[in-house]
Amino acid sequence: MSKIENLELLVVGGGPAGLSAALAAANYGIKVSLAEEREFLGGQLIKQTHRFFGSEKEYAGTRGIDILRKLIDEVNKNKNIEVLLSSRVLGIYEDNVVTILNDHKMKKYYPQSIIFATGASEKFLAFENNDLPGIFGAGAVQTLMNVYGVMPATNVLMIGSGNIGLIVSYQLLQAGVKVAAIVEAAPKIGGYSVHASKLRRLGVPILTSHTIKKAIGKEKVEGAVICELDNDWNEVKDTEQLIKCDAICLSVGLTPLVDLLKQRKVKTTYVSELGGYVPLRDENMETSIKNLFVAGDVSGIEEATAAMIEGQIAGLSVAKRIGKNNKKEIEKRIEEGKNELELLRSGPVGKKIRKGLSKLGLNHGKNYNENFSEEALDISHLMKTGVPSEENLKNKLPSEEKVFDKGPIAISECFQRFPCDPCVKSCPFNAISENGNINNIPYVDFEKCTGCGICVSKCPGLAMFVVHKNFSETTSVVIMPYEFLPRPHKGEIVKVFDREGKYLCDGKVIRILDGKFQDKTAAVSIEIPKRYYLQARNFKVEE
Amino acid sequence: MRIQNHPILSFNRGKQIKFYYNGKELIGYEGETIGAALYANGVFKFSESKKLHRPRGIFCAIGHCSSCLMTVDGVPNVRTCITPLKDGMKVESQNIGVEINE
Repeated sequence: MSKIENLELLVVGGGPAGLSAALAAANYGIKVSLAEEREFLGGQLIKQTHRFFGSEKEYAGTRGIDILRKLIDEVNKNKNIEVLLSSRVLGIYEDNVVTILNDHKMKKYYPQSIIFATGASEKFLAFENNDLPGIFGAGAVQTLMNVYGVMPATNVLMIGSGNIGLIVSYQLLQAGVKVAAIVEAAPKIGGYSVHASKLRRLGVPILTSHTIKKAIGKEKVEGAVICELDNDWNEVKDTEQLIKCDAICLSVGLTPLVDLLKQRKVKTTYVSELGGYVPLRDENMETSIKNLFVAGDVSGIEEATAAMIEGQIAGLSVAKRIGKNNKKEIEKRIEEGKNELELLRSGPVGKKIRKGLSKLGLNHGKNYNENFSEEALDISHLMKTGVPSEENLKNKLPSEEKVFDKGPIAISECFQRFPCDPCVKSCPFNAISENGNINNIPYVDFEKCTGCGICVSKCPGLAMFVVHKNFSETTSVVIMPYEFLPRPHKGEIVKVFDREGKYLCDGKVIRILDGKFQDKTAAVSIEIPKRYYLQARNFKVEE
Repeated sequence: MRIQNHPILSFNRGKQIKFYYNGKELIGYEGETIGAALYANGVFKFSESKKLHRPRGIFCAIGHCSSCLMTVDGVPNVRTCITPLKDGMKVESQNIGVEINE
């Protein structure tokens, strides 16, 4: 019989949760083995080219791929972490023996504690012909284009308007792929409004209360038939329409990958708000089996920031239990992590997560600040269309027109409450504020704002603009964020669009900030006829 | 089709290598998966379903869905979406024209 290797901590899964868990434990002297089934670390972070929301403390405003680079660097430098790549965990048995397959060899391990950070898998959707080549999960599209630089198609129909559907649509456009439309069965957009708005500005239609009926094609996708849904989610007669596309991307949710947990007979329960069957666990991420912890999407579908904090809590909890020193300090850090999670989940978009967690018996007795759990503005029109209403805009624009006379000022077009603060943190003049709560909507103090344009590149949602109404007698200048190719040149004439992606006018590029500080989100100043200063919100450079 | 220029990413592709898809010589890069290389070469259909012979291609690209299985160097049911491409690899479609008797 082959020998069994003893381990202090085995972390399964090298995504954001697993990496954070390994680091948190290893930093307190725990010997960690980190098993990842792929030949590289990173999980899904490896495809996330967009900037993250959240608080500055947890890398908000940094692109997912850059967060990953930092985590991997730290893991590789840490002498307490042994990384096992191309190592698939195949089994975990009642005596806690774990079998790992590597290079066609099966090895046995006996870890004192385990953290499962196995992530999630994508949900599927039933419709006619849904097995045709060219129908992808959203993650597959991201893998092909962002990891391997391969175009998945030329014209994609996106199904689902959650954050993944919106973000992947935007990334498709960045890769030079057309997005025919985004189809959403619910009457409102599922993801953050800022993501929806930036797609609308680029001319992508978002069809709420619509669904896909069938895929067209013999050997691969050639189109799709979609239709409208009524309030009861039934098809509205005679609303079928044919959409031409060469790929259909499904982004209809994720479900936790709990297979290994079930094998070990960890207690699980179905919680729809958390994506399906999730393990029962306590606030330290420990499951019904002692010394068996979970972190990240396997414990309930959320996002990468929460996954990293959960990983830290799980790692620290292991360190507290089997480590020898620093118990007080570790306890303090666990508390900090819990507070941070609470903050992340305290806004209106965290409602679903809070409801799901309460079904697991978690967060009982914790009173979330109800002032922040409802939206501050009526954003129903915005969430249906991706375009802010006149009312929404009025709320964020200067109350007096003469404010525009003082010079360039920043306009924040962020109308939804969610935990995010890079605009606030980036302003050197303290002109942007969230009134002491990261979940609040940022407001600009036009007295303090100098119109410098730093926030334009720093906002992860591309929702900051600078407007200089009286640039000349007849023209205004709008500074807009730009993350596409080709880059504009000074003096070039570009096409300018409004918030719905409708062509407004031609504009002249007068300044481009595109250095290291902007980190590929250029801040481009465009001179336009004065009458469009409140409408011009996007531009395209002709190839 | 490969993405040549990208506003955020730069692709550091490995060495160019040759591989064979149903006997036809194709070019891929070291460090990419078989699936990505096939897609870049415009191959979308990887196999057929056993009974009804419906075409199959990549769905999840992370080794979870079994939609991209092919025969690689004589070994059937290889998950081409997560298996790295190697020089001279022989990649073949599966279950094409194979009749299953019930």
